Amino acid sequence: MTSSNERRPLAARRVPLARRASVMWRVSLVWRVSLVWRAFRLQTVLSRRSPSHALILLVAPMQTTSLLALTLHAHRPDAVASAVIAPGLIGLWVSSLDYAGRVVPEDQWAGRFTPMVAAPVPLALVVVGRVAAVVLVGVLAFAESWLVAALGFGRVLTVRSPGVFVLAIAATCLASVGTAMLLAGVISLSRARDVLQNSLSYPFYMLGGVVFPLTVLPSWVRPLSHLVFLSWSARLLRDAVHGTAHGGPLALALAAILALGAAALAGGMWLTRRLVDAARRDGTVGYA
Amino acid sequence: MEAAVAASALRRTYERRRKDTVVALDDLTLTIDRNEIHGLLGPNGAGKTTLVKILSTVLLPTSGTARVLGHDVVAETGAVRSLVGLVLGGDRGLYDRLTARRNLLFWGALYKLDARTVRLRADALLERVGLADRADDPVERFSRGMRQRLHLARGLLHEPRVLFLDEPTSGLDPVAATAFRRLVLDLRDEGRTFLLATHDMDEATALCDRVSLIDRGRLLLTDDTANMGRILGDRECVDFTHDDTAPEPTARAGSLAEALALLPEVTDVERLGDRWRVHTTDRAGSRRVLAWLIERDVLTARHARPTLEEVYLRTVGDRGLRV
Repeated sequence: MTSSNERRPLAARRVPLARRASVMWRVSLVWRVSLVWRAFRLQTVLSRRSPSHALILLVAPMQTTSLLALTLHAHRPDAVASAVIAPGLIGLWVSSLDYAGRVVPEDQWAGRFTPMVAAPVPLALVVVGRVAAVVLVGVLAFAESWLVAALGFGRVLTVRSPGVFVLAIAATCLASVGTAMLLAGVISLSRARDVLQNSLSYPFYMLGGVVFPLTVLPSWVRPLSHLVFLSWSARLLRDAVHGTAHGGPLALALAAILALGAAALAGGMWLTRRLVDAARRDGTVGYA
Repeated sequence: MEAAVAASALRRTYERRRKDTVVALDDLTLTIDRNEIHGLLGPNGAGKTTLVKILSTVLLPTSGTARVLGHDVVAETGAVRSLVGLVLGGDRGLYDRLTARRNLLFWGALYKLDARTVRLRADALLERVGLADRADDPVERFSRGMRQRLHLARGLLHEPRVLFLDEPTSGLDPVAATAFRRLVLDLRDEGRTFLLATHDMDEATALCDRVSLIDRGRLLLTDDTANMGRILGDRECVDFTHDDTAPEPTARAGSLAEALALLPEVTDVERLGDRWRVHTTDRAGSRRVLAWLIERDVLTARHARPTLEEVYLRTVGDRGLRV
């Protein structure tokens, strides 16, 4: 017996275009996520075998010690939260700038860039996975800083809004990954990589209000700080510690952190694609 | 059937300084059949690597077209990348602190292979290239030959139908190079096509079905490897070396060469390193020269035809260390 489906013309039996597109999109999404995850795991293993990637974890306790010593010496218990949070944010920034910025140049020096460009996947996805792993090492600096304050100085930092604090840390990590991606693109395209890496720390610590409140900066500088996710993160983390983050300002801060991170991620992916296109055009794929 | 590789009027230039253009490939046209091992010979800076890079999509041509298995290398980059494997020679290009297996697992992800497939293929390829016992050792402990084999394994992970090998056996010891060549021949038997850029004439002679000579970006000639000697004409030659046990062997060989040059069937006598080549008028002349040499106690003599190396040297020219 012939089924009605078999009697139908071939074109009519085809899977609808929209459904096929949906299946292809899902397949495409699955391998993209899988690629990012495998790049993340690669970097995790590489970082475990490169002790220099954990240098920030040696530096963070010393930063906490210095900042807390200054705070306590000045009899400013209100600034303890800033002294404990700052090394964590600095850890994230150093990871983004120093280590994530090296991901692509290291592949170029080691001759791995050419086979990567020859592969049929966007290099940007590999870089995202790798910078995410590098940046997340910096998150551990928050925990270290808290422990140094508690065990070294007997100052247990109590977080009055733990839910907000976790949300703020998560948003800050995502924004750090996006920013690290942007920095990786900028540094890879730049001819002055070392100069950039050495000079981009303090401007962002200042504009991010990481070490001191933004109110001490000249008024004309302050609008610039709104473009730096660290400024929103620092304020939100301090507010979470003091229990003063609520409603509209909380939502605005979270949205600003995520939006700035997303914009940086998009910019970083665009720059990485541009890096590959320029290298193919100029014949510099094999250059270190 | 569509050729494995078809390059037409392919040109690549670099701007070195203002109004100073370097031509790396100069309107090169080349076709490589499917299931062929094609050798690309030329001196340093001839354009071999430039061609390999364009065909593997890591470099854009300035003009002209190139297709791999029917796909344009500029317009259909993704399709070409899935079909070709790029194997670069040298010590670099791998994650030295990772094991061989972990390297392959990562590179497999770049070819959209799922974790299970890439694990199975990595194990099979490590076995095939003789690295199964060292699969869990960091690559930084590998010799150059082992790294080369790992490069080949990486190039084969996604089962490409066309492989571009750039100096794959440079620096390998003879045993490793022979094993590497045997592997290439096995892979060809599985239906793969190879473009082999090399300086090694013995390698090209042993492996390639056809070879192309390029210099200064221009294709000088393409022919079957077996026919290459004919490029220099159907010349008859006899090669001999001096007898090392004789007193003053070099001087004796020199005087033999002078005497040979006076024979009517000899057109020329030239020194090629530690041997001498006698060019004769015809096959009968070669026979007479061989007999003449044997009568004079020269026991290392043979009938010869121009080798690929001679064709290369005469076509490209002896330019010493200049590029």
